[in-house]
Amino acid sequence: MEQPGTTPPLTGAVRELATQVVSTLTSGGHSPVSAYPPVTTGDDELGLAAVRVLGADVLLPAVLHRTLPAPADLAVCEKAVLAYPPGPDASPTSLWSHRAMVRTLAALGAPAAGATLAGPEPDAAWLEDLPWQALTHQLALLAALAVPPTGTTSGDAAAPGALAPSAVADVAQRRTVDIARGFVRAVRRRGWLQAAAAGRWLAHLDGVPRTLGLDAGLEFVGLMGGDDPRVALHLHAARPVRAGAPAGPR
Amino acid sequence: MTAADTRLLHTVGVGALEWLHAHRHGFRLEPDAAPEAGFLERFKPVGELAVICKVLFREGVAGSRQADLARRLLDHAWREVLDGGRMLVRGQRTEPLSPIPFEVYLPFRELGHSQPELERAIRLNHRLGSWAGLEVLPVRRLGLSAFERRYGLPPSLPEDEAFGRTWLARAPEPWTVDTRVGYDITHTVFHLTDWGENTAGLPPAVAEHLELWLPVWLDDWLDLERWDLLGELLVVDACMPRPTLDAAAWEGFAAAQRPDGAMPALGPMPQGDPDDVFDIVYHSTLVAAFASVLATSRALARLTAETPA
Repeated sequence: MEQPGTTPPLTGAVRELATQVVSTLTSGGHSPVSAYPPVTTGDDELGLAAVRVLGADVLLPAVLHRTLPAPADLAVCEKAVLAYPPGPDASPTSLWSHRAMVRTLAALGAPAAGATLAGPEPDAAWLEDLPWQALTHQLALLAALAVPPTGTTSGDAAAPGALAPSAVADVAQRRTVDIARGFVRAVRRRGWLQAAAAGRWLAHLDGVPRTLGLDAGLEFVGLMGGDDPRVALHLHAARPVRAGAPAGPR
Repeated sequence: MTAADTRLLHTVGVGALEWLHAHRHGFRLEPDAAPEAGFLERFKPVGELAVICKVLFREGVAGSRQADLARRLLDHAWREVLDGGRMLVRGQRTEPLSPIPFEVYLPFRELGHSQPELERAIRLNHRLGSWAGLEVLPVRRLGLSAFERRYGLPPSLPEDEAFGRTWLARAPEPWTVDTRVGYDITHTVFHLTDWGENTAGLPPAVAEHLELWLPVWLDDWLDLERWDLLGELLVVDACMPRPTLDAAAWEGFAAAQRPDGAMPALGPMPQGDPDDVFDIVYHSTLVAAFASVLATSRALARLTAETPA
C-alpha cells in the first residue's frame, strides 16, 4: 500500500489521471455531440509520461460512451504518441500499447496519429506460447486493447461483449481458460490490478468457464482493491459488457 | 504444461519410503495420555500409513525394495504400534463412540488383519442413531460413508448425499480457495476415489471443475512452499482422468525433499527434537510417497497406452 507523501511523482500523476478517467466514466449525462471535460492536466513531461502509462485508456470514456473526447485530451495524447514513438528495441508490449493509442486516436478523428497507423500490426505470435501465468501478466499490461470496437456510432452500438479486433484479441479469445486461470492466480495473490485487467479481458471474451464466477469475482476485486483508481478503471471497462447492455453512460 | 520425468516421480517416493521406514518408531501411541488429552489423536498417523502403504502395494509400480519396506512398515504398525489390534480395542473403550478406531482399522482389515472384539464394537456403533448423527465436517462424513461401504456396512448417509454436502460438490469460485478449503478438496477426492484405487469414482463434473482449476492451485501452493498441501494436490492430479503430472509442480516438490527422503510440511525442514520433527513432517512425507506411487503408475499407464502394439 502506498503511503501519501512517499508516492513517486509519476505514480501520483498516473493515479490522478486514472481518477479523472474513472470520474468521467461514472458521471452521467453526456451526449454524443458534446465533449467530455478534459481528464489530462497538461502536456509537460510528467503529464505526458502519465498518459503513456495509462495509454489508450485515457480516452476510454469517449470509446465506451461513444462520444467526443475533450480536444485537449486528444491533443495531449497525440503529442505523447508523436513525441515518444517506440524505439527499435521496444518490447512487443510497448509496441502494442503504442498501437492501441494510435488506433484509438485515429478512430476518434486525430489526423496526425492516424497517419502512423498505416504500418502493419505488431506481432502477437509470441503470446501464443507463453505459460498461462505469463500470458495473463502480458495481457494485463495490454488491457487497453480490451475495448469494444471503435468507429461505431451510438446508433449502431456493437454487440455486448464485442472486442475491438487485434491480433492480441485473437490470442486472448483462443486462450480464455488460461486467462481465467490467471485471474484466479491474481485474486489469490491479491494482485488486484492484474486481476482487474484479466477480468476486463474475460468480460469481453466468449467461453469463460461458468465456475469462475466472474461477475462476483469482479465485484470482489472492486471491494478489495477498488481504492486504486487503475483497478477501478479496468472494472469500469468490464462493467458495461458484463451488464449485457450496449455501452453507454451509466 | 509439460509432464514431469517419470524417474523423478518415482524417486520422490523411494526417498519418502526410506525415511518413513527409518523413522517408523515415530508412529507411536501415548497409552498413558489422559482421556481429555486425546489418546486417539495419535492413531491418525497410523491409519494414514496403512491407507497409503496399501495403495503402494496395489499399484505395483514400486520396486521390490519399496514393496518390502511398505510391508515391513505395515507389519510394524499392526504388530508393534497397534499390538495386533488390541490398542484399537483399548482406544474404542476409551472413547466408545469415536469413529477413529474404525477408520484406522479398515485398511488393516482390507489387508487381511482381524480384531473380532473391535468388529463387535463397530457393528454396535453402526446401529446407533448417535453414530449417524455425529456432527462432523461434510468431507469427513463422506469419508465415513465410503469406509462403511468398504467395510460392508450400509453407509449411514448415502455417499452421493454426503458428497453433495461438501464444498467441492458445489463447484465454487476457484479464487476463494484457501489452505483449509484446499484440504477439503483433496480429501473429498480421496474419498470419492477410495484413495486413488478407483479413479472412476470421480464424477465427470468434478473432474471437469478440477481440470480447469487444479493447475492454478498447484502453481499457488508451489510458490507458497506448502509442500504438504501441494503433495495432496499432486495426488488429486494423479486421480484425474487426464493427469497433468505437471513438471513445474513435481520438480519444485522434489527439490524440497531432503536427501534422507523427508518432505518438509512447509518451507524448509524444521530442526529440533526428533519426535517433534517426526510429528511435523511424517504427514508430508507420507503424502510424498502416496503422490509418487499414484503419479508413477499413471505415467507408466500412459507409456503403455502409447506403445504401439
